[in-house]
Amino acid sequence: MDETQSDAPAPAPQPAPEPVGRREFLSNALRLGGGVLVFLAGAPALGEGPVAEGYDWTQHRYAYLIDTEKCIGCGSCVRACKAENGVPDGFFRTWVERYVVSPEASHVDSPKGGLDGFPPIQTPFTPTKSFFVPKMCNHCKETPCVQVCPVGASYRTQDGLVLVDAERCIGCGYCVQACPYGSRFLSPTTHTAEKCTWCYHRVTKGLKPACVEVCPTGTRQFGDMRREDDPVRLAIAHGRVSVLQPHLLTEPQCFYLGLDKEVR
Amino acid sequence: MESARHVFRVLFLLLVVVVIFSVGRTFLVPKSYGAYGPYRFDNVAEQAAIRPPQHGGSASCGACHAERLKAVAAGAHRRVGCEVCHAPLARHVQDGARIAAMPVDRSFTLCARCHRRIEGRPAAFPQIVLAQHQGGVEGTACIDCHAPHSPKL
Ligand code: SF4
Ligand code: SF4
Repeated sequence: MDETQSDAPAPAPQPAPEPVGRREFLSNALRLGGGVLVFLAGAPALGEGPVAEGYDWTQHRYAYLIDTEKCIGCGSCVRACKAENGVPDGFFRTWVERYVVSPEASHVDSPKGGLDGFPPIQTPFTPTKSFFVPKMCNHCKETPCVQVCPVGASYRTQDGLVLVDAERCIGCGYCVQACPYGSRFLSPTTHTAEKCTWCYHRVTKGLKPACVEVCPTGTRQFGDMRREDDPVRLAIAHGRVSVLQPHLLTEPQCFYLGLDKEVR
Repeated sequence: MESARHVFRVLFLLLVVVVIFSVGRTFLVPKSYGAYGPYRFDNVAEQAAIRPPQHGGSASCGACHAERLKAVAAGAHRRVGCEVCHAPLARHVQDGARIAAMPVDRSFTLCARCHRRIEGRPAAFPQIVLAQHQGGVEGTACIDCHAPHSPKL
């Protein structure tokens, strides 16, 4: 069509307007169309109302502190988590690992995630140190699991938790693969991704997560970074804390005290 | 005019796409999706109410068992919550009413989870090697000698 017009004489008194080429027209149309789509997509129906009765999620930002030097490997936390959250058999939202280390060799075990505690162990080498490391979802700030979710089922809340919307989850398992800490699994009953929620149904009522509630040694502590005098906040501010796999830049919000270099 | 028809056709097509998109979106996208980010905001409240808390904490046990709690609080097990050795409160009390007896585990296994000497525990933590302990045999209940609520070491 563009060729047929070019040789026609311009009848109008003003100079003939530059004919709009097909390519230019289509690109403009696409741009306009794209703009309309962005506008439509960016105009969500706003959700209202508090997250829970008398709970303002903008007033909290949680963090978790694990003092590995105190852990005795009793597994109370793993049992409490299972009871509190109905975690399916053979899967764990939190688990405890045992490291038995010598300069030459090391051995890591976590029988049933530490659910029944730990048995005595014989290693083929003479250990020079040994310790327990409780693990769980780190509720990372820069979280790979949320980034890969194709349906927006995994998300990070304003009070600093990473949660999974089981209603939206399609069970593709991308997040299970993406999490470098092995914190997620696909539930055998619901076939959706499941993981630690820091007991959101408890913390929104002012209770501690179940694992923190039962830990007899004070290894596990839960705190609120928005509270000036919070012991966990102060410990993170003043203590020498580390996180798991810091080179991945996931910014975990579970902080560790006394973490050994053997731990990954 | 020929070009006007083309323009109209493309604009019409665009309009149809936009209409289909927005109608489809209203049906497919949940109500609160995108309120605070690319997720369904309603789920946050759903998660907060997903189930009633199961563990109540020792203080809630003290509402009925104040004497017990006082004894525990004065002894070496003061930091061990009731529910660690027994069971979550929700198995025993619901809506303020007793629904079942609290399990009492008298086994060696229960105590061994914390106090058997194994590789991994901090050296300062009180642990026993069964063979060197009163000529002990596996299966002997520790609580025959040690009071679990306020043990003497
Ligand atoms: S630990 Fe894994 S599941 Fe938890 S927020 Fe980080 S990447 Fe996601
Ligand atoms: S309850 Fe505490 S001491 Fe026991 S295994 Fe868990 S973190 Fe360690």
